[in-house]
Amino acid sequence: MEMNDIISYGLRIGVIISFLLLALGSVLLFINGGGGGYTIKQLSMTNSSINSSQFSINGIMHGIDMLDGMDIIMLGLIVLVATPIVRVLLSIVAFVVERNPLYTIITIIVLTDLMIAIFIIPKLIIH
Amino acid sequence: MVIIYFIELIVVGILAGFAGSLSGLGGGVVVIPLLTILFGVPIDYAAGASLVSTIATSSGAASAYVKERLSNIRIGMSLEVATTLGAIGGSIIAAYIYSKNLDQLIFIIFGVVLLFLLYPTFKGFREKHERRMHKDWSTKFFQLEGNYYDRSTNKRVYYSGYRWWFGEGVMGIAGIISGLLGIGSGTLKVIGMDWGMKLPMKVTTSTSNFMIGVTAATSSAIYWALGYVQPFIAAPIVIGILIGSYYGSKMLQTMAGKRIRLIFLMLLLVAGLEMILRGFGVA
Repeated sequence: MEMNDIISYGLRIGVIISFLLLALGSVLLFINGGGGGYTIKQLSMTNSSINSSQFSINGIMHGIDMLDGMDIIMLGLIVLVATPIVRVLLSIVAFVVERNPLYTIITIIVLTDLMIAIFIIPKLIIH
Repeated sequence: MVIIYFIELIVVGILAGFAGSLSGLGGGVVVIPLLTILFGVPIDYAAGASLVSTIATSSGAASAYVKERLSNIRIGMSLEVATTLGAIGGSIIAAYIYSKNLDQLIFIIFGVVLLFLLYPTFKGFREKHERRMHKDWSTKFFQLEGNYYDRSTNKRVYYSGYRWWFGEGVMGIAGIISGLLGIGSGTLKVIGMDWGMKLPMKVTTSTSNFMIGVTAATSSAIYWALGYVQPFIAAPIVIGILIGSYYGSKMLQTMAGKRIRLIFLMLLLVAGLEMILRGFGVA
């Protein structure tokens, strides 16, 4: 198998894991009557202010142990957002293996843009 | 009943995924009007749910394309430089608009963009049987070449593209729209590679699919921090869109699929107008 094949199958596995986490989290949400410290009614309000900005990675990881539906859904969404990022990371490896310096640099630039979006822009906007 | 609402959201996702893959516009473009107009979901939450489901359809379809080696990772990656920067810009503009409570503006821009996308989608993107061996300095420098095996003609097709800067410019705009509205902007990416860089249609569509995921991940990271991803909406929408787009892509080849596609395009025309009216406070 070529590197790109591995990457693409990895992506699909990422999506399947995310799908399963979202489904499991949703079921738990209904069984437990809520999640993340909120009742299901609060969570389901159309204008509900319960959203991604309140969920940190640490908090989510803690909630997973407790089989908290909301934290499992959040983890599923994080896995989903991470799949293309992992793809870019692995593409850098693939271009290094191919000895393609131009595309190694180009892919590092794309990764840098992603990292700026994840770590820098939110701090600039919110504070 | 909360559970009925949840199931309704899954159904909306299935419909959007189905209509999105049949029409070629993508699930996000369909799900945003459905959620905002029919369910009264705030447009930032609708855009957040749309963005993450865009990643799901992009990553989910990637391995189907890779078997035939249609998507060109080099070309995709070189264009991602512009789409990711555009996505950052678009998300910042969206954050500014939402912080000033100018949600109406997003409705209007969404409606206008939707109407603009309908015409090329209606005409359809077809393989033009011309020689696709355009070359210039950027072809050589950025290695804009490749080949794939065409199963319908049993021939290996060699191709090259040119005017990298042209493609890069269109991708910058595609990125801004993606970040601003929370959609994949796949149609614009296809236009950039097809019309701008003269790449073959099969390569264009599959490379665009690859790119959508990376672009949407960029905007999603910013949307996440700003709190536009509402788990109770995003989870059923992602689940639904994944199911819907799977069946939509299967139906695409059939005759019935082609007729349904026309109906969807008509409905999207109505949705686009409705979004603009909503933006002006009329509807």
